[in-house]
Amino acid sequence: MIDVPSIADLNLTVTFPAVFLALFTMVVLIVDLFIPKDRKIRTAHLTLGGLVVAFVWNVLVFDSNQTALGGMYIADSFSGFINFIALTAAIITCFLSVDYLKRTGIEQGEFYSLLLFSTAGVMFMGAASDLIVVFIALEILSIPLYVMAAMRYRDAKSEESGLKYFILGAFASAFFLYGAALVYGATGTTSLPEIFASVEGIVATDSGARLYLVLGAALIFVGLGFKVAVVPFHMWTPDVYEGAPTPVTAFMSVAAKAGGFAALLRLMVIALPELTANIGDTIAIWQTTIAIVAAATMILGNFVAIVQTNVKRMLAYSSIAHAGYILMGVAAVGTIGVAEEATRAALIYMLAYTFTNLGAFAVVMALEKDDGSGTQIADFKGLSRSRPLLAVMMAFFMLSLTGVPTTAGFIGKFLLFGAALEAGLVLLTIIGVLTSVVSAYYYVRIIVNMYLEDGEGDPAEGATQYLNYATYAAFAGTLIIGLFPFLAVNLLDTMMIAGLF
Amino acid sequence: MTFNELSWEALAFGAFTILTLGGALGVVFNRNLVRGAVWLVVSLFGVAGFFVLLSAPFLAAVQVLVYIGAIGILFTFAVMLTRSMTNLSERFNKQAWLSALAAVTLFLLILLAVIAPIFGEIAAPSSEVVATTEDLGVALVSGDKFVLPFEVASLLLTAAMIGAIVIAREED
Repeated sequence: MIDVPSIADLNLTVTFPAVFLALFTMVVLIVDLFIPKDRKIRTAHLTLGGLVVAFVWNVLVFDSNQTALGGMYIADSFSGFINFIALTAAIITCFLSVDYLKRTGIEQGEFYSLLLFSTAGVMFMGAASDLIVVFIALEILSIPLYVMAAMRYRDAKSEESGLKYFILGAFASAFFLYGAALVYGATGTTSLPEIFASVEGIVATDSGARLYLVLGAALIFVGLGFKVAVVPFHMWTPDVYEGAPTPVTAFMSVAAKAGGFAALLRLMVIALPELTANIGDTIAIWQTTIAIVAAATMILGNFVAIVQTNVKRMLAYSSIAHAGYILMGVAAVGTIGVAEEATRAALIYMLAYTFTNLGAFAVVMALEKDDGSGTQIADFKGLSRSRPLLAVMMAFFMLSLTGVPTTAGFIGKFLLFGAALEAGLVLLTIIGVLTSVVSAYYYVRIIVNMYLEDGEGDPAEGATQYLNYATYAAFAGTLIIGLFPFLAVNLLDTMMIAGLF
Repeated sequence: MTFNELSWEALAFGAFTILTLGGALGVVFNRNLVRGAVWLVVSLFGVAGFFVLLSAPFLAAVQVLVYIGAIGILFTFAVMLTRSMTNLSERFNKQAWLSALAAVTLFLLILLAVIAPIFGEIAAPSSEVVATTEDLGVALVSGDKFVLPFEVASLLLTAAMIGAIVIAREED
């Protein structure tokens, strides 16, 4: 006889933000069939409604610190915070997309379902406590993005973007899967807490299992490294970011990163912090590798961004550089005792980056013409005269990406550098500070173009009502985190102590 | 085990071996790609038979559904959609010797791994853990086992299908 477990055992309430969103994709998909072609804005409204419900629900169950569905889903403040980032990104992307899709002639109702699928994928990734769930969530995050990147099918660049992203993404998934299989082989379990429990024994006995564990962790890092675009797995980023429709690029740059780093942090913090060379060491065996990758990522991203002439490509390299900064936090997690602070810093950095980068892309979209042109840096010339408010906000976003005080970016970098210093990664911190100075060069160049260069100034006809909402929201988020950082820090503090550690 | 049972099993084993190896040879030696795809299906069917003999009925069913039903059909479609390749009759593999060498090496390695205990002794399967298809089904839908991956995977397949349609459909 089969035991039917009661619904109460599953502890479904705490999973609701993600599960509701997953179910809501189907609602959007079906309702969209009955919405006439010229009124697709209603699909966007419906999508926004669903996202807001998930958002509110997420606030309600924020620090519940429970596991659900047989321990495969953890609802702690870490996953709550990742949900917060994912839903914020999705809501702002929704506002960004409405008019853009229409005026560039790629409006399809399925766009919104795919956006929701991908958002749900990020949320499942943040909450996954099992390698199987991490893998499936990674796929559900990625596959809609491949499709959305190729959605401007009349443009060969967009198709190239989708295909490139798909093929390299498939490679990355294979790496991840191979790594997960090796970790399973070494520990005999896919559950992250159980992997953690068996790590100490494996390190102590110095058996062959340790080799497999290290190899597996390395391959998983390669797989996730592709997703978050760290050097040397970043090759796809500029082409994909340039070719994809701009709202998709904006979403991809924040959501895919948030998902990838969520899985990476979970794995390193929960499963493998004690993977040290010898018993009693305080530094995990993987820290040096990750630190080197982080340094290479920051250096390459920032220096190559300097020579770009297209804003979307520049922001692509800038996003590679920012992945390097967040990776610095992941490396800091490898020093026992700093994990909590470093995780918090990385999460707040991601939130700050989410608001700032979505805002920057919103302004880029305001300038972008219907055929996808108008994204050169030179197109920003004289924007302060034609659209003063837009220019002020863009300047603020650029300063935030650089990390100037009173902006969200400063708070993120401050916390990250602090955590890295605490972890003893002095050289890495110095590289981080120096590359931030380098980054000022290309971010400020946009400000110079807007304010000091002669030029008519672009009329920014893309700045429609919905796009403006998105820009204001991103601006408000960047400003609030910059001025009142304790809001975000407190949000996390409630959890870290109780939940993750 | 009586002599009778043994001989039936041996007979079945022989038949499935002929199907598997014969099908594989058919794939290699046939120059027509469509026929090659059909031979592949024959070979995969033989492998499904082996799973039945190994008391793994679920794997046998999955082998038929996934490999023959899905992947075999996919191959056929792919070959037929690239029409210029369908009626190919000249040899186009310029590295036949190299592939033969690789195949033989792989075969010897696997043989070595099975015969010589380089990866540790092959432990006899413990008789208590006999997972039936029913166990598997229950594990997939019970709340404390794999219901989350199972449901999220179904969501993933839906997303992939919608994505494929969005990309492939003609402009309307």
